[in-house]
Order: sequence, then structure tokens, then C-alpha cells
Amino acid sequence: MDAKTIAPDQKALKVVGTRPVRPDGAPKVTGLARYGADFSLPGMLWGDILRSPHAHARIRSIDTSKARALPGVKAVITAADFPEQKYEFVGPERVAINYWHMTRNVMAREKVLYEGHAVAAVAAVSRAVAAAALRLIAVDYEVLPHVIDVDAAMAPDAPLLFEDMITRGIEPAPDKPSNISKRVELNLGDIEAGFAAADEIVEMNFKTAPVHQGYIEPHACLARFDSGGQGELWSASQGHFVVRAYTAQLLGMNIGDVLVHPAEIGGGFGGKTVIYVEPVAAALSRKSGHPVKIMMSREDVFKATGPTSGSSMTVRIGVKKDGKIVAADGLFKFQAGAFPGSPVMNATMCGFAPYNIANVRSVGYDVVSNRPKSAAYRAPGSPISAFAVESTMDAVAVRIGMDPLKFRLANASRTGTPTAWGPKHAHEGYAETLQALLDHPAYQAPLAKNQGRGVASGFWFNNGGESCATVHVNEDGTVVVATGSMDIGGSRASMAIMAAETLGIAYDRVRAIVADTASIGYTHVTGGSRVTFATGMAVVEACRKVTAELCARAAMIWKVDREDAVWEDGCARHVDKNDKGKSTGKFEPLSLKAIAAKRAVTGGPIVAEAAVNAGGAAPGFASELCEVEVDPETGSVKVLRFIVAQDVGRAIHPSYVEGQLQGGVVQGIGWALNEEYIYDDAGRLLNAGFLDYRIPVASDLPMIETIMVEVPNPNHPFGVKGAGEVNIVPTMAAVANAINHAIGRRLTELPMSPPKVLAALDSGAKG
Amino acid sequence: MAKHHISATLNGNAVEYLCETQQTLLEVLRDELHLTGTKEGCGTGDCGACSVTVDARLVCSCLVLAVEAQGKSIQTIEGMAAGEHLHPLQRKFLEHAALQCGVCTPGILIAARSLLERNPDPTEEEVRFWLAGNLCRCTGYNKIVDAVLDAAREMRGN
Amino acid sequence: MADAPARVVLISSLCGHYTGGAKEFEIEAQTLYDVIRELDARYPGLGEHLEDETSVAIDGEIHEVGYYHQLRPGCEIFFIPKIEGG
Repeated sequence: MDAKTIAPDQKALKVVGTRPVRPDGAPKVTGLARYGADFSLPGMLWGDILRSPHAHARIRSIDTSKARALPGVKAVITAADFPEQKYEFVGPERVAINYWHMTRNVMAREKVLYEGHAVAAVAAVSRAVAAAALRLIAVDYEVLPHVIDVDAAMAPDAPLLFEDMITRGIEPAPDKPSNISKRVELNLGDIEAGFAAADEIVEMNFKTAPVHQGYIEPHACLARFDSGGQGELWSASQGHFVVRAYTAQLLGMNIGDVLVHPAEIGGGFGGKTVIYVEPVAAALSRKSGHPVKIMMSREDVFKATGPTSGSSMTVRIGVKKDGKIVAADGLFKFQAGAFPGSPVMNATMCGFAPYNIANVRSVGYDVVSNRPKSAAYRAPGSPISAFAVESTMDAVAVRIGMDPLKFRLANASRTGTPTAWGPKHAHEGYAETLQALLDHPAYQAPLAKNQGRGVASGFWFNNGGESCATVHVNEDGTVVVATGSMDIGGSRASMAIMAAETLGIAYDRVRAIVADTASIGYTHVTGGSRVTFATGMAVVEACRKVTAELCARAAMIWKVDREDAVWEDGCARHVDKNDKGKSTGKFEPLSLKAIAAKRAVTGGPIVAEAAVNAGGAAPGFASELCEVEVDPETGSVKVLRFIVAQDVGRAIHPSYVEGQLQGGVVQGIGWALNEEYIYDDAGRLLNAGFLDYRIPVASDLPMIETIMVEVPNPNHPFGVKGAGEVNIVPTMAAVANAINHAIGRRLTELPMSPPKVLAALDSGAKG
Repeated sequence: MAKHHISATLNGNAVEYLCETQQTLLEVLRDELHLTGTKEGCGTGDCGACSVTVDARLVCSCLVLAVEAQGKSIQTIEGMAAGEHLHPLQRKFLEHAALQCGVCTPGILIAARSLLERNPDPTEEEVRFWLAGNLCRCTGYNKIVDAVLDAAREMRGN
Repeated sequence: MADAPARVVLISSLCGHYTGGAKEFEIEAQTLYDVIRELDARYPGLGEHLEDETSVAIDGEIHEVGYYHQLRPGCEIFFIPKIEGG
């Protein structure tokens, strides 16, 4: 489709850039909005899942006879109730959708691969009976040695999760199996020559622990599947079309026989782009003949849904005395969890992407280990590699005595700069984020003892992809916009804004809804910062089809040539196509309401649908400034100030864009200072709850200041760039750099919790 | 084992329900009384998504047994608006975009109202510490704090 | 007078399975369809891999792989692994 940019200086935007109340707001503040766990059906049963207590074990047998006999139990299932899947990788290399793996993650077959791995499930008349039934299922395990840490999992004598795993991406292939699923390498230029020419070289090692997305809503769904071969799901997910596809595949059903309703979703951050409970509830419902509801407990969410990868990394950067970076080398080893598919490829591509470096090598390893399969988490992979790269950049700037922002600015990528993965950057915006921080009065403000200021930058791709939108004109001239994008953060407001702007009508004359999988065309997940961009594009295209149709109806009403009717400022107007399209004044302009009133006599209902496979998404750049105060007695770190400058292209609804920036930063602060998975010697998670898995609370934080830089993306009708993810990318390094400047110690392990800060202070390890 | 028969007041109305000994108030509100506005985020009193008031005291309903509500007055999110008129906190949350996914919002609104009943003129710090028991993963708390302070201002008549 | 061919680069390490390690090609093409068909003709099976498992950067702009993309003479095409966000 031919996208036109509407830049601020070309045409005044009336609705884009305003801050109206979201259409789903009232139900959400009154408790009426229905999330995945809020649905019920008559005759509903409660489902519950039995999970492995072992990190690694062979399943010798499962005896469900006593559970099946318990009064009130209506169905018991194991992996035997799911068809086997072919072993092949289909779909994106990074996500590595392999249904052979996916069905085993949903319910274990030969082995359990992490504590919490599902082995069986029951459906019963109450939660209490379901829980009692689980206790009656006898599983005979042969416990095996386990391995969790990524370096330990790569060691030659590590216990193997898959006896036949041969590393892909190495030619010739290794002759022995290992836990390394994949090796990736990117190269640009000649790093040996680059380092040889460097005046200073800094090399550092880093380790990060796995962290969970931490959405407040546990996974939940209601399934109604019948013996007639069809079924319905109400599910908390980031993509109901993906839920439909995966559930159908795992149950051996046709996609068209599964209908998924989009429930409201209580946070996802990537962790709900995959499925856990839906196939289980569907199988239980089919077997029992009743609807089945499953809600994961918080403990199970931590134990059995993917946190992101823990990592072990090495970054080496070579620089000239004048600040020019001449070579960069990164090694990134990521935990994939129980099945392959960590975001290490993203990490290798994003780490050095903000910079113009002639010689780059970036190597990544995807390593399986006995913890839950990793799931996407906000700019997957990029925050992790950025922690390593941006900390090293800070050390380099210190080494050559250069201001860290000016150092980055001197090496900033722009349009035309080559990337490590090959293509030249087609968009820019990075330098503007650095300049925004340099210009900020806080940057020069004095700091007190034990206080420090750190900066860091980051890059994230932002996705495009498939989206559909349908626009209907109601009989009174109001409009419904239906899309297939789950609304996690206020996107219905943005859809209504873009529709209102395109149609030239008031915001409150447009209502945006999310349609189910039978009512709208395939739409990819709400993730990857793609909705305002790709679904917005579909909405605008559908609205343009509507205005074209409205003009055709007006021409019919006026009995003039079709080309003599144009849509402007919310009305059809009569112009003279032979006189430069000047308004003739012969007819009163016709509003949406007026034409809608005449829809029947002019041809019937006025509707349009648009489907896009959106490309030309511009990546996101962010630069962040963090000020901390470290308590040298306790090692506690207090964030005093945080500023995030991000290129957002254009903020359709500025409040929700600000909210994305603030939310991502706070997740990053938690990742930096507190959050980690802590395992005991048996590979069991010790902190599977919000008390000991400590995410930031309101009293931990200052106000997060946002600077939205707008460098419009010419490929989108309103210049939109995805805004949801890149804000988390620089945060951990910004905090680490601030701590370094506060206490003169560089921490290279996440989280930088009080014991680690104290250890650094005691050890005297200089920054 | 026979269920317990409980009589209480819920959002100003008399209510009765049957419950088992081990059932929490949260479970009964959602599953027996079908008021799903109060959310389960953790079930262990760590996230505040299930916040309600019992006799004007702010509690996590997942930590209150349903039998404990006998004779008490419970307030949930469903009772916060007065008919079609939203409470100032609810309005300010919408104006300030203080919710993204909205799942923590009912608990935070109940907690914030409880704060303003005790302290109509809180500082930013007081708001942050009062709400420290309500986890939000989406917003970073910025706009929540803004909304609470703005609602307090309006309720004071400033 | 022929238009300059497109410069096509495969950066996914999985492509080596089909090409035996060859990564850079010059291909006469007007659309991405032409590129995919030519690569599949040289390396059977590569076409489906590119369609299902990669995205494409055309002169730096990232798109989903589609037959319909028009190519200017001498353009740079990189097939990259699909990026999934969160």
C-alpha cells in the first residue's frame, strides 16, 4: 500500500497526539472488564495440572487410576492424550517453533526437564477436588543429574537434556551431542585488523540471571470443546490467532474448528505469546464433555512459564584515542531453558547496532538447561547484550577520558551505517536521543558523595507483519473499528485516534474493539512493538477504503462524476476535477451521518476491510540516564533520577507512549537491582513468589522522566515507530554505569543486589 | 462436611453465601458471588491485586478466610462508583492513563481510596509507601501516583 | 542494456545447510519472487526456508518475505532470521 507521511509541518493533526480517555477505560476501573480468569460457563469444571518436583528425570510410568476414581473427577489426561508431533523446525529461527518440543513443554513425555514441568492434568467439580485428585496421581521418576547455569550446561561433561542434540550452525557438525542447540555468528569487516589498529582495548566478562516477565495476571483460560470436533477458548494471551494455531496443532484439529475469544489481558511482555494451559484445558474439556477452566498459581507461573535467558557474555571493544571505535567483538551464551529457542540471535544483532563500527564480530550460543523454556521478554535478547556492550562502552569512555554521551555520539549510527548483520541502517533517530540527554539540565547537575550518574543506549528492531482491520459505518454515522490485536496497553485508543484522524471525525464517534478469530482475518501477536505500526496501517487503509466508498455514495446522491467528490474534514465535498479540484459550492458537504442515512438507497451498508503484511518498520533507539545513591553500609542502591529519551516516530496517544517508556524502564530497574531466579542444589526454584522474587514497588522509585523524540517513519501514514520495547534495553547498563560512577566499582553480574554491591566495595575491583 | 453459611454486607448490600472452611474471601467473591473485579495475582498476599476493605480495613482478600467475613462490611471495586458516577480516583486514573493492562487497577483503586480516607493530603512519598503493597508491572507507577495526587486535590476541593 | 543485478546475501547460519556455505549472490531480478525462485533453482529447498523462516531487508528496510516486493536495479537484499518481539 502506498503510505503517505503526514508530518506535523505539512498538515495539522487534529486527533493524533491528543490524550483522550481509552474506550475500554470505564470497565477497567469499575472491575467489569473480563480477563482470562473471569469467564465461566454453566457446568464448568476446574482444571489443575500436576507438575514435576524434579529438575531432570525420566518418567518411568504414570498411574492415574486412583485420581480417576475420586468422586467429582471427570477427566484425567497425560501426554498420551495428545497426538505426537513431527520433529521439525518451522517458522522463525529465533523462536524455533518445533511442535515436537512444544507438545512436550505443554505436557512431558519421555522426560521432565525442569521443576514444574507438567506431567498430567485433571478436571473436577471444584478446585479442592481437583487438587486432591492431583495428589492421587503416582508418577514413577528416575531422577537424573541436572544442570542449569549456561556455562555449566556447555561444559563437556554436563548432563545432557537431549541425547541426540547436535549443535546447528557449525560446519562440519560436531560428532558428539551437547546441550548447545545452535551457534550463530555475524561478521563485518576484519576484527583482527581492527583491534591491531586500536590505541586502547577493553575486554570484560558478564553474567546475568534469568528474570521473569512478572505480569500480575497468571495464565488462565476457559475451554469449551465438544465431541463434535469444534471448540472455543477464552484466553489471556498476547495473540489469540497464535493461541488458535498452536492449540489446534497440539490437539490434532483444524484451525477453523477452534474459535478463540480475546479476553482482556493482565500483562504479557512477551511471556504470553506462547501457550501453556490452553491445550490442556481443551483436551480436558473434550474428554469430559464439559467446559474446563484453568488458572495457574503464581508459584506455577514462576516455575513453569518461561523467564528470559540467563547469560554469560564477553565483550571486547577497541578504540582510538580520539574516541573512534575501530573494533568490537561479542560472545553471548544464553540459556534456552528446557527446549531450544533463546533470543541469542536477537542479542547478537542488536548489541552493537547503535554504533558505526567498521569491524564487528558477534557470536551467540543457544544452550538448553533444566529450567523452564525461555519465553520472549520485551525486546528479547537485546537488554541482555546491551548490559554487556553498554557497560563496556562506559569503561572505554572512562579509559580514554571522554564524556560517555559524546563518545556515543561520535560513533552513532545514522541512515546508511552498516550493521553487523549486513544491511545498512535505513532509519535513524539514535543521535537525537543522545542529544536530548546532553541538552538536559540534569546532565550537568552536581552530585553528592556515594551518588553517581550513568548513561547507556539501546536498539531494538520493532516488528511489522500481518494484521487485519474492519471498519463499519453505523446507521447514525458513528464508526466501529475492529482489529485482531489484543489490547494490552491502550491500543484501542490509538486505533480509534488513527481512524478518527483519517475519517476526519471526532474521537468519540469511533469505537475500537478487538474481534475474535472467526470475526476478523489473521492478525499476528501483540508484541514486538508492532500494533500501532502494523495494525494501525491496516486501520488507516480500511478507513481510506471507507472514505472512497463514501465519496462514491455522495457522487450518486448528487448525480455527479465519481471524481468530483472528495473526502475532506469529515465530509464529502463537491469539487470540479477539471478545475484543480476546486470546491464548486453547488452542493452542501455531506457528513458521515448524512451519507449513512442514505446508505440503503445508495447500495447498502458501508464497510471496508484491510489486510496488511506490514514492512518498513523502523527500529527503536533509546538513551537513558540514571542517577543512584549507594549506601556503603548495606549495599542498597536507590535510584534518585531516571530519564529515558526514545525515538518514537510519532506518539499517537502520548500518555500511552510515555507509559510504555516508564514501564519498560522500571522493569529494567528491577532486572538490574533485584530480580533473579534462585535455585537450590536439586534444581528447585527457591523464590517462586512475589515476596522473594522482588519486582520494583512504588516506594522504590522516583518519577521516571520521558523525552519522546519524534523522527517520523516515512513508511507509516502517521510516521509511527514501535515504542513498547526498546526502553528496557539500556536500563541495566545505565544503572550499572551509575553505580560505577557512585562508588568506583564496576559490577558485571546481574542483579546488582546489596550483597553483590558490598562484595564489590570490599574487593576493591575498580571500574 | 457441610458448608458454612455466611451473612455479611457487600458494597452496602446484604449478602449471603455458602463456603468451605478453607475457601478464601477472594475465592468466594469471584467464584460464588461472581464479582470478578477483584483479581488473583499471587494468592499469597504479596501483590495486592485482591485488595478489598473489610470493616474499612484494607486487606488482601486472598489472606482472609471467607468465614471471617461473617457480620462484616466488605467493599470491593464493584462498589466504588456511585451508579453512573465514577469516584474521583477512577476518573483521574482514566484521565492520567494510570492503567495499561488494568489488572492491578482494582486493587490499587481500593488501596488508594483507603489512603485518602485516612490522609486526604498525602505527599508523593506517602502515596508511594502506602501503595508499596500493590504491584504494577506495566506503568512504573508514575501515572498512578500522579492520578492519586490529582484525585486527592480534587477531593479536597483545591 | 541489462539492469544491474541485485546483491543478495544470506546471513542465517541455517542457509549453509542448503548452499554448502555460499552466502553472497548476484541475481537478475525485478521482484523478490524472482530472487527466491532463482535461489531455489540453484539450491532446492532453500526457497521454502527463505519464505517461512526469514525476513528480508531490501536496501535496509525490513519486510516480511513476499513475492510482490519490487526491486530497483542493483539493490541490496539481505535475508535475515525473523525477529520476534515480546
